[in-house]
Amino acid sequence: MKDMALGWRTPPPVSKPAAVRRVGLGYEGILLGIVILLVGAISLGSQGNFWNPSNITSVLVNTAITAVPAAGMTLVIVTGGIDVSIGSVVGFTATVAGLAFENHWALAEAVPVVLVTGALAGLLNALAITRGKVPPIITTLGTMSIWRAVVYALLGGNWITQVPIGLTNLFVLDKVFGIPWSFILAMGLVLLLTYVTRSRPFGRFVYAIGNNEEAAEVSGLPVNFVKLLVYTLLGLLTAVSALMMLGQSPLIQATTGTGFELTVIAAVVLGGTSILGGRGSIVGSFLGSMLVQLTSDGVILFHIQPFWEGVVSGLMILIAVFISLLNRREESR
Amino acid sequence: MALLELRGIHKSFGGIQALRDVSVTIELGRVHAIVGENGAGKSTLIKLMMGVLTPDAGEIRLDGQPVVLQNPAHAKALGFAAVYQEPLIYPHLTVLENIFIARPMRKRWGGLDRNAMVERIGPIFERLDLSLDLLFKPMRELRLGYQQMVLIAQALVYDSRLILFDEPTSILSGTETDHLFEIIRYLRRAGKAVVYISHRLEELLAVADEATVLTDGRMVGHVDREGLNPDDLLTMMMGKAMREYRKAPLTVEAGHSGDRPPLLSVTGWSKPGMFEDVNFQLWPGEVLGFYGQVGAGRSEVAQSLFGYFKPDRGEATLNGKRLMPKNPAAAIRAGLGYVPEDRKLQGIFGSQSITNNMISVVLPKLVGRLARVRPLAVTEMVERYTKALNIKIGALSDTILSLSGGGQQKVVLSRWMAEDLKVLILDEPTRGIDVPTKRDLHELIRELAARGLGVIVISSDLPEVMAVSSRLIVMNRGRVVASYDAVRDSLAEDVLRAAIGLDRRQGEDVL
Repeated sequence: MKDMALGWRTPPPVSKPAAVRRVGLGYEGILLGIVILLVGAISLGSQGNFWNPSNITSVLVNTAITAVPAAGMTLVIVTGGIDVSIGSVVGFTATVAGLAFENHWALAEAVPVVLVTGALAGLLNALAITRGKVPPIITTLGTMSIWRAVVYALLGGNWITQVPIGLTNLFVLDKVFGIPWSFILAMGLVLLLTYVTRSRPFGRFVYAIGNNEEAAEVSGLPVNFVKLLVYTLLGLLTAVSALMMLGQSPLIQATTGTGFELTVIAAVVLGGTSILGGRGSIVGSFLGSMLVQLTSDGVILFHIQPFWEGVVSGLMILIAVFISLLNRREESR
Repeated sequence: MALLELRGIHKSFGGIQALRDVSVTIELGRVHAIVGENGAGKSTLIKLMMGVLTPDAGEIRLDGQPVVLQNPAHAKALGFAAVYQEPLIYPHLTVLENIFIARPMRKRWGGLDRNAMVERIGPIFERLDLSLDLLFKPMRELRLGYQQMVLIAQALVYDSRLILFDEPTSILSGTETDHLFEIIRYLRRAGKAVVYISHRLEELLAVADEATVLTDGRMVGHVDREGLNPDDLLTMMMGKAMREYRKAPLTVEAGHSGDRPPLLSVTGWSKPGMFEDVNFQLWPGEVLGFYGQVGAGRSEVAQSLFGYFKPDRGEATLNGKRLMPKNPAAAIRAGLGYVPEDRKLQGIFGSQSITNNMISVVLPKLVGRLARVRPLAVTEMVERYTKALNIKIGALSDTILSLSGGGQQKVVLSRWMAEDLKVLILDEPTRGIDVPTKRDLHELIRELAARGLGVIVISSDLPEVMAVSSRLIVMNRGRVVASYDAVRDSLAEDVLRAAIGLDRRQGEDVL
């Protein structure tokens, strides 16, 4: 440093703050508490049926199916965007997988193709948003109907059940200490992306863009490149999620994945990510996914009519958004 | 040593010349002030230096070599930093992240090295008297003054050679301002080139080594430290004097005869931080000018009278009745009209037709049975207005955006010609409008007054308020600092002096 040239005295000793980064356990801590309470309540209410191994597996796999794309969706929403096409992308990638399986492709051949398909669907959204300057909600509403229409065109009224057992083994049946691989994969992804968002420049760019896109442009951050990457990643993760779904229930039909985008966005918003962008966390979205899946499992175990599940998760979203808006109002004072 | 030279710069926006043949030389180790009224071209000049705009003609040289500043990132990479009036920040990121976002320090595997960043920024924060605890606070928790300091720290970290301040003190308190001046003097000692833009002349005397005066996009003078005295600067700023518009004879002379009661009377109108103890009266048939620099609190007074928000203290009566509208709709019912400063944002309905824009205020009166708008009444009213206003238009069904700025403003004014209007407030009515249309609008404003309306014209354009008003009030930093019952050209210098705060009484420090 050119301290002397700037006329500084000898640099004073810098007292490093004890914890360089405050560990933000605030909202995530509350969420974890709610998850634990909910597990307790469901265990008691279902007379222990909750802890039945097959129910546990199903909850964990369902959580993974939501949490994997939710991690990508978190990045997208933090940049100030959104992607409502992922339900249709699930349908489309599952259809591609199904057609491959019908034509007797091996898993090792089909899986990469499916993943690339998902990533390309995300890239297409990203190009329309960054090059075409189409607002994300409009872009993805458009691709949402396009992919759904493609699925109808490919499948018509038929369905495909010819899914290799290998997929089910991989994601659902094979376990480590009782935990299915899909859940372990989801946790690994959460750890990786948490590191990226907190400690890599790229991760900070994602937040900077959502905080103040104009400032990000002016400081020369690679705004378009970051957006391109997060939408493409979300497409890829959506394809992973589609494969997990096929592992859990080997049925592909024209409506596969319908409404899935709402589940994922609900998990992300419940996880504390601001729908306005700029703040949120991967861990929060993971806990949010768990919350959503526990609720729907509870509804099943309590033999409540399924449409109440929609009411409950809708209420949870409204409450979460309301709380975050309250926070915002406090801050602006 | 000359760091940056601008030579013969021209820049125009859609027919309006923002800068004409401006040449400025910025030297290392000196504070160069750019002075001028609002609209003199100061902000255009900054944008050219920061790569936000490119000049139409002229040359920019850096270290003697011609350079083309492609975009703001490029300017930053060359070592230029700007501290804008409203800091550009990332509110939810920490102060540390805000500083290092574009050039983070990294560990061996590319992760962010926050410890190294803290070590790097430590001495700079120390120098700026900032606590290191701030580094881990989200930026939004800092006051604007501190956010500015953080941006200065950032400029130092990036080893910027040119640091540009745009009206930095407008958001600062007295002590914060003193602190800022110390920092600026330190930057000068450290060999940086500092560009300081302000319209507060007394501040320039405190920090500047030299000053360039802009008037109407032209360079009208350049003075060195010895020549820096407020009277000369003032005379230069007055350059364009009153040549531009000659005042048309006022149809209703001096509206405020002693015996008639005032139409609008405002006493003790206060909202700390915006305006303090504003008193004035408005009589029917007169045009009352409100002159002052941007941020003097003029628009805020108008907006609070119009019901956008409530003042903390104060009384207002309109035609003898108490005026304290809950919202703009209530203000309109009470007989008040307001044409806002920013036509695009607050004044026009961009995608709507000219007709719809004209009738938006009087709409309730055009409604017939079953809440149906009566088309005949609409046509009749619109025809009357277009004739009265001498608006040249293709078709009334075209969108209002097809009109020029001046035409749009005429349409907006026409809205308020409804008969039961008593007071009309116009905020910067001719900003960005060419001179002939300005004259038309001034005529129109006087005509409105002649019909018995009370008109208030808020403007930062001195010749304009001098030309259009029958009486004049001057505001500075939230207070009325002068008022004139008759407006003569010879008063112009007095008025400008009052608005800039040169005659400010000592010991009075208004935020």
